Amino acid sequence: MKKIRAVVLSLTIFTFLFASINLVQAAYPEKPIEFIIPFGAGGGADIEGRLLAKEMSKILGVPVVAINKPGAGGAVTYTYVKNAKPDGYTVAWNSTSILTVTNIGNVPYGHDAMTHVGRVEYQPMVFAVKSGGKWNSMKDFEADCKKNPNSLKVGNSSIGSATHIGAIAVANAIGCDVIHVPLGIKRRNAGLLSGETDAMIAPLTGAIKLAKAKKIMILSHLSAGTNPVVPDVPSMKSLGYDAELDLFRGLSVPKGTPAEVTAKLSDAMGKAAQSSAFMDMAKKNGFTVAPMDVATFEDYLERDNKVVKAIMEVAGLYQSKAKK
Amino acid sequence: MNEEILAGLMQAIQLSSLMATGIGALLGLVVGMIPGLTISAGIIIVLPLTFVLSPAISIALLLGLYAGGMMGGSFSAILLNIPGTPSASATALDGYPLTVKGEAGRALGVSILASFVGGIFSFFCLYFIAPSLANLALEFRTQDLFSLVFFGLTVICSFAAKSLIKGLLSGVIGLIIVTVGQDPVMGTARFTFGDANMLSGIHFLTAMIGLFAIPQMMESLLEIRQVSNKPLPGAGFGRIFPKFSDLKAMRFPAAIGAFVGTFIGILPGAGGPIAAFISYDYAKKISSKPNEFGEGSVEGIAAPEAANNAVTGGALIPMMTLGIPGDPVTAILIGALLVHGLAPGPMLFLEQADFAYTIIFSFFIANVFNLLIAMAGLKFLVKVLSAPKSILLPTIALLCVIGSYALRNSFFDIYVMFFFGLIGIAMRWLKMPVVPLLLALVLGRQLEEHLRVSLTSSKGDISVFFTSPFSVLFLCLSLVSILWPFVIERRKKLATK
Repeated sequence: MKKIRAVVLSLTIFTFLFASINLVQAAYPEKPIEFIIPFGAGGGADIEGRLLAKEMSKILGVPVVAINKPGAGGAVTYTYVKNAKPDGYTVAWNSTSILTVTNIGNVPYGHDAMTHVGRVEYQPMVFAVKSGGKWNSMKDFEADCKKNPNSLKVGNSSIGSATHIGAIAVANAIGCDVIHVPLGIKRRNAGLLSGETDAMIAPLTGAIKLAKAKKIMILSHLSAGTNPVVPDVPSMKSLGYDAELDLFRGLSVPKGTPAEVTAKLSDAMGKAAQSSAFMDMAKKNGFTVAPMDVATFEDYLERDNKVVKAIMEVAGLYQSKAKK
Repeated sequence: MNEEILAGLMQAIQLSSLMATGIGALLGLVVGMIPGLTISAGIIIVLPLTFVLSPAISIALLLGLYAGGMMGGSFSAILLNIPGTPSASATALDGYPLTVKGEAGRALGVSILASFVGGIFSFFCLYFIAPSLANLALEFRTQDLFSLVFFGLTVICSFAAKSLIKGLLSGVIGLIIVTVGQDPVMGTARFTFGDANMLSGIHFLTAMIGLFAIPQMMESLLEIRQVSNKPLPGAGFGRIFPKFSDLKAMRFPAAIGAFVGTFIGILPGAGGPIAAFISYDYAKKISSKPNEFGEGSVEGIAAPEAANNAVTGGALIPMMTLGIPGDPVTAILIGALLVHGLAPGPMLFLEQADFAYTIIFSFFIANVFNLLIAMAGLKFLVKVLSAPKSILLPTIALLCVIGSYALRNSFFDIYVMFFFGLIGIAMRWLKMPVVPLLLALVLGRQLEEHLRVSLTSSKGDISVFFTSPFSVLFLCLSLVSILWPFVIERRKKLATK
């Protein structure tokens, strides 16, 4: 018995040794890729990320394993991936949170401490009020707000989150102070319905169900152009207000990942995003698939980062600990 | 609305959900029977294994376990005079004497049937009360929620009745622990020492695995050497399904138990053991043969058994509609739902009504399965009682480690789990209750968040807590809840004088 065990054991070790030698020589990807989701199971980031990972597995020919590492608004995942081996086998499913956690100073680095593979999708943040209320347009809200400055309450997901940044942008654009109430993702919608807040800023995917049920009314959104999911809602820009910030999701890898690996990932990401399964989900949930390659995404991030930073500085939230 | 009820029902009676509920009930019966393995510990251990399942299926499994555990606990209470769970303590009073008389089957039959009655009664309360309560709760504003959570926390006093200082201390430790991590309102880091793992805070389920499972394991480990397992009473139980005369006798006690159990279940914190003893007491008072109580009265089994199973449905009411746990098990269920991205609370009935009804119907099915499995497989089930601990304990230990890792796929959490295991052992040694700490861990963050959000919204004016009617109601209830244990203590003292 013991001999057999010894033989089996040594064979296993040999197989592993050979396997690892092979890995060094073979072309990327040769082993499963870790696809880290910064938010908990069941949420939007998770459902969308898992489907994308599945589609990417088909294209890359290796398992792309979705793993949730939730916590601290994404900081746990970003830190984990930033510190991982730069070999393209650890990928972060990023979002606008990569700009907020870095600028608010919860991690000791900036968004540029990682390499960004590309954008997959985006969705607008919407400004919504309760249906049947006194405001039917942004102009109504603006007029009322200017009459009673610093008294209307606008709910958001948490201080420093993208929705808070969006709410500040809206308030700046209409030129009137409001009370920002950080009700949280769970209570943001409930607060608007109960009348605790007068309006809210939410991702389109988080508001579309209630809007379709006519419980709330979306007055405007913060995308630049018309949004295909809600084509009849005017954007802030089209109403003449200067406020623009989208929520995006995309992929990031550790800095130092070889360019050909990043390119391959970016290519697979784009194809997976345009798979029919993913496009169907986009249609159903209310986000817009619009892949961006490495270079375009870096520029896009740079521009959005300036927006986020500027708003945070005005609001006194900016505390970036990134080394200059 | 009807459509959603139907959708919920369809989901609950899917083959996979039914299987999960059945497996859950079976596991629950086993977990409940094993002394030293409480339902909370059982659910915590099984929970991480359910992460791979869809939310509806995993909740079906956990509910099966919850209901099954309540029933299983009384088997060991009746057969060995060792309650498998604290809630079954009252059952031992009359169950064991019947076993001694050689009527174990009769006692088990009554207990199974009474449990079923209690469970089903609480299901109907859940089904009818929960949706309207959720509707009402939609009107709650942040200041009302603060007072509600505060009320939930005052329950600590009822657990601290033996030693107020120790109970409060345990609660305060819990409140301190929840401050670690990201500030819930500003999002800035607190007590993290620059570590990204600490930034996400201590997950209360990780802490609970350590606090509940580790000390219990240590205790069982010490017992291994001391006592070998008690032998089970004679192989045959005789007839299990109660005779007509027994059915007649258990009618009123079971009704009392079901009613008291559901009511106490709805109140946050009190839970199974208290409900069981109160209904035992009531049943004795109205019984025509009170002198039989304690000697093997069928009525004395029916009342607490109906009560402790009715607690389960009752406790689900505040959990589902308000997001406030009624007992440790529902606290864990909240965690389980959150892991699946579902937040229990009034919005659950508005945004995911079908899922809310899936939970409700799964609870019904769990009770039916319980009855069937217990009646059919009793003879095999009780064999668990003679399972050697040398196999059981390592299995539990392994599951604890897997569980704390699987929660967030973080190795750091395994250390956290062991750290809390040490805290749990220390607390047991100091005779400090663990439940206040647990409640503080579950509610502490909400308490802080609601307080600060309401003050942000009111521009720092604290009068909002005293002008909103709901808030005032909850604050009054808190006052009652704080003073109640003292009133009881006082009465007891007067009575003994």
